[in-house]
Amino acid sequence: MAGQSDAQASTFSAAELEFLAEDELIEIVPNLRMDPLNLICGDFGPFRPQIATQVPIWLAVALKKRGKCAIRPPDWMSVEKLTQVLEAERDAEKFQPLPFHYVEISRLLFDHARDDIPDIYMVRSLIEDIKDVRFHKIGTGLEIISKERTYALRLKNLSAMEANIVRPFVTRALETFYKLSSPDMIQDSDSVQNRQHQTVNRGPRRQLKDR
Amino acid sequence: MANYYDIDDVLAEEEILPAVFQQAADGVGLLDSSDDTNKVGAGSKVELPFWLARDLHLRGVVSIDVPPYFKKISRTRKEIGADAAHVDLRSRCQYFYELGLKIAPLVGDKTIGPFLLVAFQTRYKEVLVKAHTAASAVAPKHLTLLTNEETKLYEAGQSSTAAFKKWRMGGPRLQKATVLGRKRKPIE
Repeated sequence: MAGQSDAQASTFSAAELEFLAEDELIEIVPNLRMDPLNLICGDFGPFRPQIATQVPIWLAVALKKRGKCAIRPPDWMSVEKLTQVLEAERDAEKFQPLPFHYVEISRLLFDHARDDIPDIYMVRSLIEDIKDVRFHKIGTGLEIISKERTYALRLKNLSAMEANIVRPFVTRALETFYKLSSPDMIQDSDSVQNRQHQTVNRGPRRQLKDR
Repeated sequence: MANYYDIDDVLAEEEILPAVFQQAADGVGLLDSSDDTNKVGAGSKVELPFWLARDLHLRGVVSIDVPPYFKKISRTRKEIGADAAHVDLRSRCQYFYELGLKIAPLVGDKTIGPFLLVAFQTRYKEVLVKAHTAASAVAPKHLTLLTNEETKLYEAGQSSTAAFKKWRMGGPRLQKATVLGRKRKPIE
């Protein structure tokens, strides 16, 4: 089954991540009158016409499909914000803070709430650009694993989807590097010092971007 | 350290090594098929799989020699030094790294460790770039050069990137669970 993750690999499939992202809250403006919903994950509502309220995305999408609400796109999904992020992303070495599930949320909203997003074409292409810039950064960032001895990577501000895509590759690569650079194999004075150092420090950790 | 049930670990130990018998041995003529005496004389050169060579080596029966690609002065080392990314390691030994790790402590060659690391460091970059960007047209040619370990690394990167692209392109969001498709057997 393509929708499910591989039982052996310790990764999620994209569809599973999308499912997880549906728990994020989003603001809707209902056009129906309904009592509060008491769900295990919390209470939502009451729903009054034209009074905005917060609900999980899955609920928002379900209501939207029935024409019972308008979805308010989150703050970060505006043209100005995204332009800022894109520029900062291009200039800075570090990853810009974006919602953890920004890839999934944007796709969900593009699929189900096209009419609620102002300047949808602009927003969509901005998000695509941001995503491409970030993926390129990840690619160049991962080269540093090979340059110095690395035991762990700090993935600050990396989103769920991005982390998930590189996870199988990175874990395998780190594992192999770990095996090949074990002190038994590389015997020089430098590594002996390193070994003593590591027991205290659990080894050097690399930022994904630090050059 | 290695997982007992790891098939790659088992297969890596199947690699053939050159070895020299230090003592004469009876009843193992099949290892040295030059005559019918069913004996192996001291000093005869044979080829043994790693798992056998290791144990005999530890008992002092044979002495192991490293395969040509691990020799201190060899073409492979020179090639790795020149352009590691395009050396065909697969045809030399599918389990290049695994075998290297196992053999280095046995023969006490301290240069093998750094050699393996340098080889993997350079080749890693190539795999990284190919795995996350390459159109499938370029990949097969490159893939034939990779060892088993590198192929797996490549596939790990490639499959997750492909899965993401597929999700982004859309397609059916809902899939039928496999159990639902089955026909129920009539009860007799």
